[in-house]
Amino acid sequence: MKSTAAVFCLAFLLFACSDAKQEGKKEPVPPVNKDSAPANRAERPTPNPYTGVDVSPMDMAYYPVDYPKLKMAHTLTVPPLARVIYSRPHLQGRHIFHEVLKYDEPWRLGANEATELDLYKDALVQDTKIKAGRYTLYCIPHTDSWTIAINRNIDTWGLEPDTLQDVARFVVPVVRSQNTLEYFTMVFEDANKEISLLMAWDDVEVRLPFRF
Amino acid sequence: MKKAPALLIVFQLIFISLMAQTLPPVDKSPMDMSYYPSNYPVLKIQDKPTEPLAARVVYSRPQKAGRTIFGGLVKYGEVWRLGANEATEIEFFKPVKIDGKKVAKGRYTLYAIAYETTWTFILNKDTDTWGAFKYDAKKDILRVTVPVEKTTEPLESLAMSFEKTSTTTFKLYVAWDTVKAGLPISL
Repeated sequence: MKSTAAVFCLAFLLFACSDAKQEGKKEPVPPVNKDSAPANRAERPTPNPYTGVDVSPMDMAYYPVDYPKLKMAHTLTVPPLARVIYSRPHLQGRHIFHEVLKYDEPWRLGANEATELDLYKDALVQDTKIKAGRYTLYCIPHTDSWTIAINRNIDTWGLEPDTLQDVARFVVPVVRSQNTLEYFTMVFEDANKEISLLMAWDDVEVRLPFRF
Repeated sequence: MKKAPALLIVFQLIFISLMAQTLPPVDKSPMDMSYYPSNYPVLKIQDKPTEPLAARVVYSRPQKAGRTIFGGLVKYGEVWRLGANEATEIEFFKPVKIDGKKVAKGRYTLYAIAYETTWTFILNKDTDTWGAFKYDAKKDILRVTVPVEKTTEPLESLAMSFEKTSTTTFKLYVAWDTVKAGLPISL
């Protein structure tokens, strides 16, 4: 059985490698991730305004969870409380740490445009009052905890957080998941009357608690 | 040593399918945003903005995928969500004028009614909703009808982009397949 499994694995790996090489031939230049090349994007001499779909697509998440769908399905009269708009980089075979992120260095919590937190009502985050408004979110990941910063430098590109404009910083613990997430994911959760913003990628999960 | 990543990808794909029920997968009509001035966030980190932020659109990008778009998927004469998933949102960061009417700063939902030679853009104040399923004409701020233009090449993905038309005017162009239409906005 062992040898059969080994042969199968070997065959699979050879297949996977040759497949990767073929892809390499077809596309000698890997797709440029906007994440790493914002300057090129702006300085292109004749930019095509109708760019293709981004390699790190944008997404949004509301609290109450799935607010727009609820609003469509029922007649909700209450306004939403919060929303995040972020872009979703993916691992593409990399590990989140060392290959994508570095411990103790700020990370944009996404890709491309800075990740945006919209609060439609004043909120309490770990007992700190955050006023309703638009903010940029970024983080500083550590091995066992992440620092999450709420920042007022909005409508910017995520690469350079202006730490001087931090409104507040919070430290939240890292939970290791048994599952691995290919795409960076942000979503509000509502469990046991606890509202939190889940940020998950690879096997890392962190949650920032909110009260409204 | 390049074998490990290949295996990882396979395992990750398996895990993604397991996780898909609880966490949102990447959408097949991904979201995107455009600013006016164009590329404002990139200009901002390069200290190059030449004029203040005026507008932003947040929308989802359905794909043509071999379908007939206008007159087919998008029926002529019916209110169209102008995107996919969450309703298309346009935000003005300062008061503007559209078709001579004042529009206060704030967030709005943008819809359109496509015809063969014209589009009617609809600015509506009911935000944070899904598609055009609950479209309520009583919440319209204004409607403006503009001519349809041809794109230089067919577009697979619905795209939106602000284009400057003079020192005080710009257009939000919405383009898909072989047509585009511009919503004129004045500062």
